[in-house]
Amino acid sequence: MALRDWPIKQKMTAILVLISGLVLLLTSAAFAGYQYWYLRQATRDALSVRGRIIAANSTASLAFSNVADARELLSALRADRHIVAAVLYDKGGNVFAAYPAGVAGDVVPALPGPDGYRFEGGRLIGFQPVEEAGSQRLGTLYLASDLEAIYDTFRLSGVIGLAVMAVALLAAYLVSRVLQGTISQPILALAETAQVVSTRQDYSVRAPKLGEDELGALTDAFNQMLGRIEDQNRALRASQDELQRYANELEQRVEARTHELQERHEALRRNAAELLAANSELDAFAYSVSHDLRAPLRSIDGFSQVLLEDYATKLDESGQDSLRRVRAASQRMGILIDDLLKLARVTRAEMRTEPVDLSDMARDIVNEIQRTAPERQVACAIAPGLTAEGDARLLRVVLDNLLRNSWKYTAKQPEPRVEFGSVEANGGRAFMVRDNGAGFDMKYADKLFGVFQRLHSAADFEGTGVGLATVRRIINRHGGRIWAEGAVGQGATFYFTL
Amino acid sequence: MALLRVTAALLLVCAARVGAQGARASEAQVKAVFLFNFAQFVDWPPEAVPDSQAPLVIGILGDDPFGDFLDATVRGEHRGARPFAVRRFQRVEDITRCDILFIGRPLADRPEEILARLKNRPILTVSDADQFAERGGMIHFVTDRSRIRLQINPEPADAAHLTISSKLLRVAEVITPSGR
Repeated sequence: MALRDWPIKQKMTAILVLISGLVLLLTSAAFAGYQYWYLRQATRDALSVRGRIIAANSTASLAFSNVADARELLSALRADRHIVAAVLYDKGGNVFAAYPAGVAGDVVPALPGPDGYRFEGGRLIGFQPVEEAGSQRLGTLYLASDLEAIYDTFRLSGVIGLAVMAVALLAAYLVSRVLQGTISQPILALAETAQVVSTRQDYSVRAPKLGEDELGALTDAFNQMLGRIEDQNRALRASQDELQRYANELEQRVEARTHELQERHEALRRNAAELLAANSELDAFAYSVSHDLRAPLRSIDGFSQVLLEDYATKLDESGQDSLRRVRAASQRMGILIDDLLKLARVTRAEMRTEPVDLSDMARDIVNEIQRTAPERQVACAIAPGLTAEGDARLLRVVLDNLLRNSWKYTAKQPEPRVEFGSVEANGGRAFMVRDNGAGFDMKYADKLFGVFQRLHSAADFEGTGVGLATVRRIINRHGGRIWAEGAVGQGATFYFTL
Repeated sequence: MALLRVTAALLLVCAARVGAQGARASEAQVKAVFLFNFAQFVDWPPEAVPDSQAPLVIGILGDDPFGDFLDATVRGEHRGARPFAVRRFQRVEDITRCDILFIGRPLADRPEEILARLKNRPILTVSDADQFAERGGMIHFVTDRSRIRLQINPEPADAAHLTISSKLLRVAEVITPSGR
């Protein structure tokens, strides 16, 4: 397992023990180094002191060639078991005396080396000049010591050092196990609290605070954060509840309104059906009445004509006049019945929608009117290229009615004028038929399109009062609208949309 | 230079294959060196040292057995600041300033007279005459199977206020005729 994945307790213990170990190791290494250096120094000093003493004592032996004395001197070195060899050389560099007796070979140099003490070949050796103070040199003392003294001390130090290190590491481990708690405990407590919060979604728990250090501050901050989250959660839940309440209320209201609307729609549908039924009944009634009225009317007219033609001689002037009036009235009534039938037919007829050139149609109608009344001079202005979608036959009825009206009501005008065109109205296009005829009072504008509603007497302008009602029905069937503007004596303008 | 020469001479001694002539030469040579070495193991009373740079005089009374050896040995050497000097005397009356005196033959055969004349003077008396030490001399060269040993009688030395180093006494045979 990588170090960074270790539990924090072990990590801290490991770090503390590692640091302690490192410190101990460095200290021990430094101490060992110092001790080694010191031991070498001390051993060398000791040997040099020993060498100087022996050299000082052996001056006379050398000066006066007393080998026995020299050997005796050297043999005192027996007390030091580390001395491997000791040799006195005379002034000429010859071996004068040696210790131990018979020592030779590689241990004893054939000739003395340069003065001084040094480590050489695993031994400490020294060449000490032998001289009486202030006088000429008498010879050289050679001493060789093994390094066991150093090694022994060093070994002992090593064992002691290892023991101390083991004890110290154990102590460091134990202490760190105790001390790491001061850091790891708050962190573990935090981690545990965070775990509880994230798994149980419980923001009411709080991490225990174990001290006033940075970790304590961290714990405080964490707890404050939890507190804020808890508050926010509470507020959120409250607003959610409120929202839910509103939603429920709204739903209920929508349901109620929907119900209401359904009821209203149902009522409307019923009304519409009733109206439709009533309307068609009315239409049927009007049709049959008109149809059935025709036959007796034709009899009245026919027999009145027979009377006028066959019995003119038997009737005086007054009788004839009455009969003529009967005929005129019955003929007018016939026209009225035709118009009513036409109106009824408009409602009943099937609609076929197609593109219609209204300008062409208007021109055609004006020509036709002109033919039936060639004595009248009416200025006609028809805008070209006006087309619309609709039933050609019904639209012809519309234009025919409107143009004939204009023609009719300009009869008393010295310079009659009739226009057909289009204007922009309410963001769409409206067709328009305008004249400069008798006009009408705007307060009766809404009565213009009612059946049998007439603003002028039949004496002034003949008419049945059915035409504009027919026109409105056709426009309504096309989904359009019709309205009029005008003033008495100022002419009238009829607008319609399709 | 002197040292080199002495070294060469000593090497000659150790060459071992030397004839009678060579043996005698080497014996004289060793004695000359010993004579020179005494200066290092003996302290003279202050009144015997006129000044710190006065030469340390090695005198030879009578026959000179050393030839050039002694001169060669001491040449260029010093004891402290004092150089060495070799003087040769024929009669004891001639001895003026002297620190170490080798008494050669034939005078050495009757040392008592000479020693009496030198009595209490701070002069280290040395000789190879028989029983020199027993007879009141200070140091006696004893030739023993081609080796030269020393016999020292400390009493006259003490009387002459000479201090002989214990080191020197250790390598020598101490003779005390008075039995002290």
